[in-house]
Amino acid sequence: MLKIKNLKADIDSKSILNNFNLQIKPGEVHAIMGPNGSGKSTLSNILSGKKGYDVSGEILFENKNLFELEIEERAHKGIFLAFQYPLEIPGVNTNIFLKTSLNAIRKARGEKELDAIEFLKLVKLKAKELKFDEEILNRQLNVGFSGGEKKKNEILQMSILNPKLSILDETDSGLDIDALKIVADGVNSLRKKDNSFLIITHYQRLLDYIKPDYVHVLMEGKIIKSGGPELALELENKGYENFN
Amino acid sequence: MEEQLKIDFEKLLENSNFSKKNVEIKRKNFNDFIEKGFPNRREENWKFSDLNQIISKNIKNLSFYHDLSKPNKIDQSIFIDSLEHNKLVFVNGRIEKIEFDYEEKNKIQILDDLVLEKPNNANNSLLFLNNAFVSKYFKLIVKKNYSLLKPLVIYNITNKDLVSKSVNLKVDILLEENSSLKLIELSNDKSTTNFININYNFDVQKNSILKNYKIDNNSNSNVKYCFNNINQDTNSVSEIFLLSSGSEFIKNEINCNLNGKYASAFVNGIFNLNETKHHEIKTNINHIVENTKSYQLIKGVLEDKSKAVYQGKIFVESKAQKTDGYQLSKAILLNDNTEFNAKPELEIYADDVKCSHGSASGSLNEDSIFYLMSRGLNYQEAKKLLINGFLLDVVEKITDTEIKNLIKNIINL
Ligand SMILES: Nc1ncnc2c1ncn2[C@@H]1O[C@H](COP(=O)(O)OP(=O)(O)O)[C@@H](O)[C@H]1O
Ligand SMILES: [Mg+2]
Repeated sequence: MLKIKNLKADIDSKSILNNFNLQIKPGEVHAIMGPNGSGKSTLSNILSGKKGYDVSGEILFENKNLFELEIEERAHKGIFLAFQYPLEIPGVNTNIFLKTSLNAIRKARGEKELDAIEFLKLVKLKAKELKFDEEILNRQLNVGFSGGEKKKNEILQMSILNPKLSILDETDSGLDIDALKIVADGVNSLRKKDNSFLIITHYQRLLDYIKPDYVHVLMEGKIIKSGGPELALELENKGYENFN
Repeated sequence: MEEQLKIDFEKLLENSNFSKKNVEIKRKNFNDFIEKGFPNRREENWKFSDLNQIISKNIKNLSFYHDLSKPNKIDQSIFIDSLEHNKLVFVNGRIEKIEFDYEEKNKIQILDDLVLEKPNNANNSLLFLNNAFVSKYFKLIVKKNYSLLKPLVIYNITNKDLVSKSVNLKVDILLEENSSLKLIELSNDKSTTNFININYNFDVQKNSILKNYKIDNNSNSNVKYCFNNINQDTNSVSEIFLLSSGSEFIKNEINCNLNGKYASAFVNGIFNLNETKHHEIKTNINHIVENTKSYQLIKGVLEDKSKAVYQGKIFVESKAQKTDGYQLSKAILLNDNTEFNAKPELEIYADDVKCSHGSASGSLNEDSIFYLMSRGLNYQEAKKLLINGFLLDVVEKITDTEIKNLIKNIINL
């Protein structure tokens, strides 16, 4: 599904990612762990199409060159990023935004757009699954949301858009254990044989609830070790400083 | 231009039947205008918008006389059809329709045979010009204890018959005690390169409510000035909303005197500009007595080479204790060639007051765009969503739901 070969990314001629390689097959869950500043968010941003990086190498998503696709086209193809810091968008109603987003994607895929009633039914169902207070959906997008509400809102968007590749950038950071479980349930309910996940995290904790197939350790823009779930535990015990 | 002014002024006097008294006043005002001329940037009030220059750049051979003897056809398609309303229709500066079908006839009075008064602002040459050249000067009186059942729309229409002319309109509105009026001003210009000079005087008496929505939305090459003087008595409310968007140049000036206790004034405005448009909102809110309140919120979205100016002044007299004055302006600059000038000014002589002001401008937040696009919206959609969101809170300040929806519709919000 996703093939990253020799990815190199610089900002202002500062090297952030270097010789980065990763392959994710349909249905797989990969975790990337790494200390602050190792390049995790940069990787997520590049996969989603954010501008401002000098990139080289190759990224194929379902055999298509990602660099040739605009940000929104990647979303249409099924790439979703749960932001580490979801943005506050004043004056934009959350529900209306969700509907606009879903219908933009459905339209691009040649599917029928949902009308207000169909959409509301879907959103109610998903919000309930995530124990997400519906009242929040009538507020302005992320404005005045607590940290946990913002993260849950990302997961709600993910479950409504039903992407093929979901990238979760430190979604677990700052969540209490109940919220963490809800997020994990959200991910697990989307786990199907065609849906893949890239779970970026600082801590091992989330991986107690979402069992990854592979764990990669990212240091200074490069994967220095890959393995199974046991690698996360090893990291947790040793700490990043003593790893290597 | 002086030659032209003189010829046109004499032509006006010749072809109208003004009272002797008015002719005398007009001559005086005419001479005062000749002496001062159009304002330019050396005047503090005009330092961001040099009207003299703007007129000479945009209007070739400006003339001042327009024959108002023949009636004009009204293009009915311009009327707002989603809203039942009363009408005052001006076409090329000539009144063509006065219609108050929804109201009790004896509760509304319209006078047009008025003696001109000396402008109360001795520095404003455009008021001299207006007094000198205005043909019919109207006064609308809303009687004591009467609230108009439907809004009044003043249509100010110009058509292709008008080119490089100066049009002067003057309307006084008196809201007697305990009355209320919702007034929408809607301009529609199919004319080109004219100077349109409008003067409103509002007298809002005790316990009365004025809601005034000024909509300049259809694109045109005219240069406009609209001076609004508002006097407010005890416990009165004025709510002004400005949609400043369509004209090549427009300056809306609002001089509001809060003369009675518990009087409050709200000024909310949107600049939505593109191309080379240059718009200004200038306010003077004068807190004259204690316990008065003013609130101003102005937002702008500027594209291409457009320019917006907001000069907002809050003046607090020494006896105006417990004044509450608030002012905020924000602009999104979509292009490096746009310009937003905000000049907040507080002049406060009382000590127990609550006054604040703030201003900010910047480009669209690229991270927000990225966030929205990553959810499947294209750049244009993301931009529109952000801009609409930015403007929404100004429109939400409109307290009349029907008119709020009308304006949302007009700007596609
Ligand atoms: N816009 C930027 N300009 C300059 N440096 C940046 C920018 N964004 C990230 N960096 C740098 O790139 C490195 C990786 O950042 P990031 O990808 O956010 O790391 P992580 O998400 O793993 O904490 C850091 O050293 C950070 O300072
Ligand atoms: Mg990060």
